[in-house]
Amino acid sequence: MLTLIIGGSASGKSEYAENHMLSLDGKRVYLATMEPFGDEGRIARHREKRSGRGFLTVECYTDLRRTELPERANVLLEDLGNLTANELFSPAGGGPAGLRSGLEDLMGRCRHLTVVTNEIFSGGRDYAGDTLSYMRELARVNIWLASRADLAVEVVCGLPNVLKEAKA
Amino acid sequence: MIFVTGPLFAGKQTYICRALGWTEADFRKNGVRDVQELAANARDLDKLAAELSVYRVVLATEIGGGVVPVDRLERKNREAAGRLACLLAERADTVIRVQCGLPQLLKGELP
Repeated sequence: MLTLIIGGSASGKSEYAENHMLSLDGKRVYLATMEPFGDEGRIARHREKRSGRGFLTVECYTDLRRTELPERANVLLEDLGNLTANELFSPAGGGPAGLRSGLEDLMGRCRHLTVVTNEIFSGGRDYAGDTLSYMRELARVNIWLASRADLAVEVVCGLPNVLKEAKA
Repeated sequence: MIFVTGPLFAGKQTYICRALGWTEADFRKNGVRDVQELAANARDLDKLAAELSVYRVVLATEIGGGVVPVDRLERKNREAAGRLACLLAERADTVIRVQCGLPQLLKGELP
């Protein structure tokens, strides 16, 4: 099962995603994709909060295939925007192909995968170079995941706008 | 006329072509895209909306979501693009917003 959750910054998408995870039975893993870069305090606080809700936090910045996870867990990947940037621009990154094969591999190993992604596409098209290629790639992966998702939701003001829901 | 809007790179054209069974050539003949750019140079947005309404499909990219630009001309262009989208939606039989390649009906009926 795959769920895609998209929203702008501070749209409430993370909280919605966490609540969605709490509605699923089984082990819960929070797959963090953001490299700390000096924000360790805030990250530790978030980790503690999640642990109270039964989440195991696993970090992965590139190459999802190498990430060790409990078997058949429900995984919340947050977020795709960071992972895409890491795969495209970090020295260890695997590019667009690495990003997709990693996601493919992850889907095969999870019971239910929930991916949080970023709405960054409504502020005009006045971008160039790396930013534009980053946006293109993130948009492609969003569309790819949405086409495979059982549930796709755009979160606005903390409220879900359901874009797609497979019939049970 | 079917008006399709949505964020940049959201798969608007791919979606509508698939929904209507159109090829790219069909789209070039019966559709028009990136009309938000035409708004920038238009003197009369009502007239532009009327002219665009003869197409079967009109595509616009949402560009009003970011920070309001500092530059006066950019601000004016963005404003015009948003207003044109409203005028087109008013004239359209069907309005669809595409996000992540998925359609959401805002007016009329999905093709």
